[in-house]
Amino acid sequence: MRSSISSSNSLERVIPKQQWGKLAVSSFIIALLLTLGWEMYWRSKGYAPTLNDNKDLWSLTREKVNTHPSRTVLIGASRMLFDFDMQVWKEKYNELPLQLATVGTNPSIYLDHLANESNFKGTLLLGITPPLFFVPEGMPVDNPKSNIDFYNKFSPAQRISYYLGLVLDRNLAFVEQEDIPLTKIFEDLPIANRPKAKVGPKLPPYFMSIDENRQGRMHLRKGHEQVILDRIAKGWVPLFTPPPPPPMFTPEQFKKMFMEHVNKTIVKAKENVSKIQARGGKVILIRFPSTGKVRELENKFAPRVAFWDRLATEIGANQSIHFEDHQELQGFDCPEQSHLRASDATEFTKRLLRKLH
Amino acid sequence: MLFNSLIFVVFFIIVVTLHYSLKNWSTQKKLLLVASYLFYAAWNPPFVLLLWLSTIVDWYAAKNIESAQNKSSKKFWLSISLLMNLGLLGFFKYGNFALESLTAGLGLMGMQVQWAAMDIILPVGISFYTFQTLSYTLDVYRGHLKTSNSFLDFALYVTFFPQLVAGPIVRATDFLPQCETPKRANASQFSWGLYFMCLGLFQKVVLADVMLAPAADAVFNWAKGPLVPLDSWIGTLAFSGQIFFDFAGYSTCAIGVALCLGFVIPDNFKFPYAAMGFSDFWRRWHISLSGWLRDYLYISIGGNKHGAARTFINLMITMLLGGLWHGASWTFVAWGALHGLYLIVERAIQLIFKNTNITSKRSARVLIRLVTFFFVTISWVFFRSQSFEKVMLTLLAMFGGIADGAQILATIEIYKVATVILLLVGCHWYMRESHIEFFMEKLPKWSIALLWGLMIFAIIIAQGGNNAFIYFQF
Repeated sequence: MRSSISSSNSLERVIPKQQWGKLAVSSFIIALLLTLGWEMYWRSKGYAPTLNDNKDLWSLTREKVNTHPSRTVLIGASRMLFDFDMQVWKEKYNELPLQLATVGTNPSIYLDHLANESNFKGTLLLGITPPLFFVPEGMPVDNPKSNIDFYNKFSPAQRISYYLGLVLDRNLAFVEQEDIPLTKIFEDLPIANRPKAKVGPKLPPYFMSIDENRQGRMHLRKGHEQVILDRIAKGWVPLFTPPPPPPMFTPEQFKKMFMEHVNKTIVKAKENVSKIQARGGKVILIRFPSTGKVRELENKFAPRVAFWDRLATEIGANQSIHFEDHQELQGFDCPEQSHLRASDATEFTKRLLRKLH
Repeated sequence: MLFNSLIFVVFFIIVVTLHYSLKNWSTQKKLLLVASYLFYAAWNPPFVLLLWLSTIVDWYAAKNIESAQNKSSKKFWLSISLLMNLGLLGFFKYGNFALESLTAGLGLMGMQVQWAAMDIILPVGISFYTFQTLSYTLDVYRGHLKTSNSFLDFALYVTFFPQLVAGPIVRATDFLPQCETPKRANASQFSWGLYFMCLGLFQKVVLADVMLAPAADAVFNWAKGPLVPLDSWIGTLAFSGQIFFDFAGYSTCAIGVALCLGFVIPDNFKFPYAAMGFSDFWRRWHISLSGWLRDYLYISIGGNKHGAARTFINLMITMLLGGLWHGASWTFVAWGALHGLYLIVERAIQLIFKNTNITSKRSARVLIRLVTFFFVTISWVFFRSQSFEKVMLTLLAMFGGIADGAQILATIEIYKVATVILLLVGCHWYMRESHIEFFMEKLPKWSIALLWGLMIFAIIIAQGGNNAFIYFQF
């Protein structure tokens, strides 16, 4: 039997002898029932419908910088995304800022992009997590570059698909791109890796939500205690611990190379800040709180004098606010040592805005 | 517009609904033409102009070739068509590559030059539709085809959205006759088309993107030195499967979409990993391209009609250009050269053993299939690697030429790849002489419904993001 037969006149395609109409209906019903079961299962695990923090949403937000170049823009990593309450800003300044921060990000990439590839001339709030700002390669650099690349090629089809997908995002808990996609479910199967395999730690689920303005929120409820401990042990400790030097370098050589990179990063940041200021914009550095082991690691591997203080004094920002320097900004509890819960983010932002001038 | 996107689902429902609510065949074709332009414009609207240019120039070139009174006039109009199509392809696809190669070549001669960057954007699917429309003028020139009397039919042939951006490359002789009479799929054809769409999406979204891409990407994107043999082999095998499921998945979807609209487009894959030899492989892999290269390039430069040595040269030229068609990079040229070499060696062996039926024994057939799969898999290292340095590192690692490689794959990725590749090769071997239609006819109804339902469920929960089909870049 041939599936397609080329003749002198036209092609034909053989249809297998089955009741295809009935089979189609039956299979769609089976798929529907399985999908309903899947949705119920993930809701029982604590997931609820939320938007996904994907490249489409980032690109749509980024586009607004072109049409509103004087709007306030937020860049940084997850602390800027979760810990800054944009509604508080709106109540004070009558307009929402544009949130461009993304998780696990070296924001110097976004600073460079806004300075050189946009007409931005508003106020830029730049969230600084010192170890991330100076990461030279890997996920913290690749992710923001990939967002910018996607934005540059954002097609009409992708735009419409995104808006269609919002209907699913807002109604289905399993439409979640961090923890529940099939690839992630395979990764989370309890199968041991080879002892020498260079495989990243399996990250526990993360209960976050994001809205259409990219306001992120962290949600931790009762029963999530183990998730918090796992997130600290498997997420933050490896992220905030620098890798060992490659075998071809001594620790001293590696440290020297890294400090050269730090110097270059600061010089480039200064240039970019100057470009934004030359257009009439302002740049404000913000250091959000962290606690416990995470704070210890930050202090050990990215001590304030060597990193934050240099940024604050050398890149020419209009203002620099470190939570340690203001009594009002201290004392906030970070449940998983790195981010504020939603209610604290609101209070923190209110106090933070009182420090801005 | 990607088949695995929500916008396509909505687009398809609207087009099918309108197509079957219209009564006039000419209006239906106009609808499909407009839909096809919208489908293409959804990526980058200005590039629709290129489609229009190809369509208009080839329509008039073919008409003038047919009406020309002498050979030189025919040749002139064919040259216009060739220059326009290959010129567009050359500029958009090979402009940057040519400039980089020239710079590198001058650098080797000690001349350091710096050109202004061209930053040319590659129009999606340009390699496919230029070859498709070229086949029309070439067939008219050779007298194999009479020109179409309907510009609408011809424009639809060039632009028909199911196969516009990644094939199959359809011949006018196969498509244009279908435009002459109204096309309406009955319930069985329509449902069978839907089944093909689901099967194609399952191949792409689940098997290629979820099961195989993570290992292939991890291995071929690894830039921190060599890997251990196991990881290198798993990454290469993963890509062997990924490229098949990705591309065959697109072709299967395209066939399904066309079938739902009442059209038939030809198969593009026939269980290629069960091939016995490399010429058999190319009769089973990307059939529409290999057929195009055979008919319009290999045969045009003499084929096998001028002795063994000339045949070998012609095979190598065809495969080199076939490699270059896939991508503007020397690694693709090397991939084509490797397949050219495979075909030459196979042809030489056939000449030496022409009186021996070496495939009569089952064990010999099994061995030949294994050897073919092995060498095809090796060739994918060239196809997937970004540089020759990566090619060398991967091949050396695969054959134990490097000590102290890194282990980078999670155990689950190794299990996923091993399982899918074993099933893939087993399925191809089992189905080698058969067809999916024959297989499906024998299956009990309940198992078809269950399998189909599971495929749809897997596609839904895979939540594939914005992963474009690999062949869109070609």
